[in-house]
Amino acid sequence: MGSTSQKHHHILPTKTALTIGALLLVLTAITVWIAHIDLGPFNFVIATAVATLKASLVALYFMNLKYESSENRMIFITSFLFLAIFIVLTATDLFFRQEVSVHGTFIAEGSSQSKLKKPWVSTPELVAHGKEIYAIQCVACHGLEGKGNGPAAAALNPAPRNFEAVDGWKNGRKPTMVFKTLKEGLPPSSMASYATLPADDRWALTHYVLSLHPQVEVDSPADFARVGIDPNQESVQEKEDPKISIELAMSQLAHAESGMERGAHLYHSRFEQVQEGPFIGKYLYQKHCLECHGDHGKGGIKVSVLGVYPVAFVATHPLNQQSPSMNSQEVFNQAVIRGIPGNLMPGYGNLSSSELKGLYQYLKAENE
Amino acid sequence: MLQEETVIHHHAHHFTSANHEFEAAKQGMWIFLVTEVLMFGGLFVAYGLFRGLYPEMFHEAHQHLAVHMGALNTVVLITSSLTMALSVSSAQKGHKVSSVRYLVLTLILACCFLGVKYFEYSHKFHDGLLPGGFFTNTEIKSPKASLFFSLYFMMTGLHGIHVLIGMGVISWILRRTLRGEFGPSYYTPIELVGLYWHFVDLVWIYLFPLLYLVG
Ligand code: HEC
Ligand code: HEC
Repeated sequence: MGSTSQKHHHILPTKTALTIGALLLVLTAITVWIAHIDLGPFNFVIATAVATLKASLVALYFMNLKYESSENRMIFITSFLFLAIFIVLTATDLFFRQEVSVHGTFIAEGSSQSKLKKPWVSTPELVAHGKEIYAIQCVACHGLEGKGNGPAAAALNPAPRNFEAVDGWKNGRKPTMVFKTLKEGLPPSSMASYATLPADDRWALTHYVLSLHPQVEVDSPADFARVGIDPNQESVQEKEDPKISIELAMSQLAHAESGMERGAHLYHSRFEQVQEGPFIGKYLYQKHCLECHGDHGKGGIKVSVLGVYPVAFVATHPLNQQSPSMNSQEVFNQAVIRGIPGNLMPGYGNLSSSELKGLYQYLKAENE
Repeated sequence: MLQEETVIHHHAHHFTSANHEFEAAKQGMWIFLVTEVLMFGGLFVAYGLFRGLYPEMFHEAHQHLAVHMGALNTVVLITSSLTMALSVSSAQKGHKVSSVRYLVLTLILACCFLGVKYFEYSHKFHDGLLPGGFFTNTEIKSPKASLFFSLYFMMTGLHGIHVLIGMGVISWILRRTLRGEFGPSYYTPIELVGLYWHFVDLVWIYLFPLLYLVG
């Protein structure tokens, strides 16, 4: 048993060590300094380059890679080679994948050009129309009377706005501001964007919401300018692409798919033969809607409001005469095609009008 | 008291010489470091991907990190790397007293690093700048900002765990140095711990600019 000393070994001279240490500190100062100058994408390039220079100094001198056997050097450097492959291949996905967007299918009408004249001027008809949409889209959170106390409100933080109060509004109570809230939502809260509703409907909602408190705030020309509206013109022209974001499309697809799978299972076990004619409504209901609206549209199923933390639930109402959307095929179609944003109910823009009719008639007949 | 002394280390019987043993051990360490590069690499790729997808969000969120704290920690860690290197070379030359002194310095600097991190983390906790569903901050407008903080905590947290482990192994070789187990003829463990510690520094050298400076 011998004990030869480790004599072939390179020992880092103290002076070199101190020089490298000082160099590293100087380079640190340089990166911090350069980061304060705005050079656009070059900030990132420079920061990574300096970091790589520093890392090389540490590896070459402190880790002694400069005097290391070529075998060990190769081993270590190879790991960075593999890392580079990993980074480059992943980056190609980022740079070359085409914009994924779903056109149309989930949204019935792509453009939201207003059909009404000057919808930003409140009229009793608009308020009434807003009330109808409100009863479908907003009650779950904001409550029947707009007090911010709907069934889902208890679990929401921040709580839904109380429309009977003047305080605590984030965007504000002027019509253009409420309109902006409805277009953009109030991220990161559960107040979602309702940009999928036509602009006219959003104005109607705005006027209804504001009618809940007697104190009126009037828009100045600057307020109109901020939302891109010329109040002297006749109608709003919202330039919107008829496409929805990747995330929304994916969540919609996931919803639709999971619903379809469950629906298909039910279909096969119970309604082996029926697929067409008068049964189409029943079949579609079983396929898409049963999981949330319960047997025969009796409601009472708890649906989780996704994207809210902690998790909140809304119990569905029975789809009977009392339900605001069960009084006309029109309103029903709007509710089903657009869904209810805030992740409550997916939109079913891919249903044909005869399918929608079938669904409506089925629900009507079941809940007579 | 500490004295300079000759150390007799017997290499294991399956090596032809002490040098052979040392080279094998060191190669093992390098291979271990390769796995570490790939482990942190995954996180860096995730960082790059999400930064590419949401540049504005990263820009907004990174402004909530304290640059001065990060810079201070960079200085602390680089200095600790220097003291570690000096400790290794002292051990190789057989200067036990200075080797011990540098190891203790390295340990103190590592404590400083974690101390600064503690203040940073508690500040983030207080502001609700937390990963995923725990994110409660309302100042940041970007709806996806929790993603940045998921990455921030994952990356600095994994690095912090490495610092903790580093402190453990440094304490271990400090004890062995005090017992006089190392000298010019045998210093394998101290050199390998040195390699590990420099690697921890190396990771931080990238983390600091990517998270704190260019977000
Ligand atoms: C999923 C629950 C939910 C639904 C559905 C919902 N809201 Fe909200 N809404 C909220 C929450 C929560 C807030 C408060 C957000 C905050 O304080 O950041 C809010 C705030 C608002 C505000 C106040 C904006 C401001 O300036 O402060 C308006 C106006 C509003 N909602 C209108 C509506 C309308 C109209 C509908 C129906 C089309 C609707 N909301 C549907 C949850 C909801
Ligand atoms: C992911 C669960 C879910 C699915 C699937 C779903 N809904 Fe809904 N639906 C809801 C929730 C939640 C509401 C709002 C609460 C309420 O009013 O019951 C709602 C509301 C409605 C409304 C408006 C109710 C009213 O008060 O006027 C109609 C109409 C409706 N759904 C029809 C359908 C139809 C038809 C289908 C199938 C094509 C369907 N829903 C699928 C969750 C769902």
